[in-house]
Amino acid sequence: MTEKGPNVNVSPRVALDRGEGDVWHMQLAGEWTLAQSEALPTIDRALTGEISDSGMRGKTFRAGGEIDALDSAGALRLAQIVDGLEQVGAAVDLQALPQRQRNVIELLKGRLPPPKTPRPPREGVLAKIGRATIAKFSESNAFLAFIGELVVRGGKLIAFPWRIRWREVVAEIEAAGLRALGIVGLLSFLVGMVMAYQAGATLADFGANILIVNLVAIITLREMGPLLTAIIVAGRTGSSYTAQLGTMRITEEIDALRSIGISPFDMLILPKIIALMLVLPLLTVFANLLGLLGGAVVAAYRFEVSFAVYFDRLPEVVDLTTLMLGLIKTPVFAIAIALIGCMQGMRVAGSALAVGKATTISVVQATFLVIVLDAGFSVLFNLMGY
Amino acid sequence: MVSTSNRTAQNESTKPVAHLTGICNCFGEECVHEDLSLELPRGRITALVGGSGTGKTVLLRTLSMLRRPDAGQLELFGEDALEAGERAQRDLRRRIGLLFQGGALFTALTVLENVMLPLREHTSVRGRWLAELAMSKVLMAGLPADSAGKYPAELSGGMVKRAALARALALDPRLLILDEPTSGLDPIAAARFDDLIRELTDSLGLTVIQATHDLDSIWRGSDAVAFLARKRVLAFAPAAELAQRDEPELVAYFQGSRSAEYAKLATSQPGTSGGSP
Repeated sequence: MTEKGPNVNVSPRVALDRGEGDVWHMQLAGEWTLAQSEALPTIDRALTGEISDSGMRGKTFRAGGEIDALDSAGALRLAQIVDGLEQVGAAVDLQALPQRQRNVIELLKGRLPPPKTPRPPREGVLAKIGRATIAKFSESNAFLAFIGELVVRGGKLIAFPWRIRWREVVAEIEAAGLRALGIVGLLSFLVGMVMAYQAGATLADFGANILIVNLVAIITLREMGPLLTAIIVAGRTGSSYTAQLGTMRITEEIDALRSIGISPFDMLILPKIIALMLVLPLLTVFANLLGLLGGAVVAAYRFEVSFAVYFDRLPEVVDLTTLMLGLIKTPVFAIAIALIGCMQGMRVAGSALAVGKATTISVVQATFLVIVLDAGFSVLFNLMGY
Repeated sequence: MVSTSNRTAQNESTKPVAHLTGICNCFGEECVHEDLSLELPRGRITALVGGSGTGKTVLLRTLSMLRRPDAGQLELFGEDALEAGERAQRDLRRRIGLLFQGGALFTALTVLENVMLPLREHTSVRGRWLAELAMSKVLMAGLPADSAGKYPAELSGGMVKRAALARALALDPRLLILDEPTSGLDPIAAARFDDLIRELTDSLGLTVIQATHDLDSIWRGSDAVAFLARKRVLAFAPAAELAQRDEPELVAYFQGSRSAEYAKLATSQPGTSGGSP
């Protein structure tokens, strides 16, 4: 290595020296490294003027000079130059270079990238439409297959209920129910308060403060409690079902379960569905209670309807039917949420990205379906005269 | 040394690539390493060997600055890696290539994109030259050109290892850390992988440390063996030498029936007496 001053030119260089006869000298200098990546790709332009495709046959290019530093990026460039010269029939003599540098160049020369590096094929519009259509069909196909297997496995469990994996069911109840009490309670309480504020502000103008109870109670029990709870659970539990199953798919845990003779439906999916069907009505009752309480607090402190009056009046404006009309929807919501969560999870394939995508789809679909179902129930109950 | 131009490189060539002293790694009450010391010889392939639970992976994670040891010193390329600032750490990490046990390829990216990622992040290389550079690493790792456009999910186990090696080599590391590079490969593929590591080490001037259980890799694919036992590096020597030692852990590891065959092969060369003394 030579001692260098601070202003030394380090960029990689190559110069041709037309020698006598068939031997040309190729003077190499500078640092042929990744750090010089701006200069490296264009370095052979210095040669192109001197080299013609014809007339190079039989010529020998003897490398000389001193390369101050060479890494695999520089070696790749050199190897490409050497290869280019050999393509037009010339020979290249690298003997003057140090052994180590020759080794790297040899290593890379044996494995030069093809002129066109392969890319994942890009598709036209038609292909995309076609692919999307096929995907939709296979999606509904997969949905049917999923439902089919679920019915078969679920039917067996109904026939032999002692085969239900209660340990898993209990674990799911804890995760989806017990641990959700805080968030469900808090949000219901706040929504109850908000409703009481809005109702009270209007009713107070007419001196009908007492009707706050009617409004808050009916809306909470029939709509707000069940709907809010279902949406929270869809975001909280449905997404976790998808993420869990999706990750298990990628790490082949689902396949491992099947291989030791355990159906993932028995072990993972049915316990989730059973647990959520049990838990969602209970969570809704809890949400109803907290919602009514939130309304009561605002009614008492803002609109002069005391707790005693509020809870006295409560049984007069709502009865068991009101409560039941709200609760009866919840197992249906639960099935929808658990089904979508599990199905999206089981459909994950390939990458970590797919888990994220499936989780998003799962939450969007579950929330959407819950609201559509709720609207359906409203129409149905209205037709039935409730 | 291939790239020895700047002053740090001058410094580099005289100091050991990596130097661990007094390393302790504990998980709660349980310590896997206590007062462990190790020095990696430049330009050599070192095998890191030891039974399960002796902390091979933990040691490699310490070496690659992914895990901060609970005590001790880590010197990389002559610099104190534990005291280094953020920039200096980034600089040191650039000079280390790490091959994870499971490959740890980014599943959302193709093989080529996986290799391009560190190049894009650490250099100003762009465009066609970037793709060509990345492609040369893919080929260097022994993958066919058409695999570059594939996603990790479409690769076989051996190809995943090679793709991960290509990514580890992307920035021309000086130190290559391999965690079980040949595990899960068939013997022929494993031997080819060993040859590849040897070829790259020799031509690129790499320093390699590989955690391995593969007897082939230990006996033929490595210059020296660092044997982990009793929470430290119990012995550091070529495999043939370790097979002659009489510490119980070494005896248990190297006098196993299959290992004994390797020992016989290694010692039956002219000039050495066959079998153990």
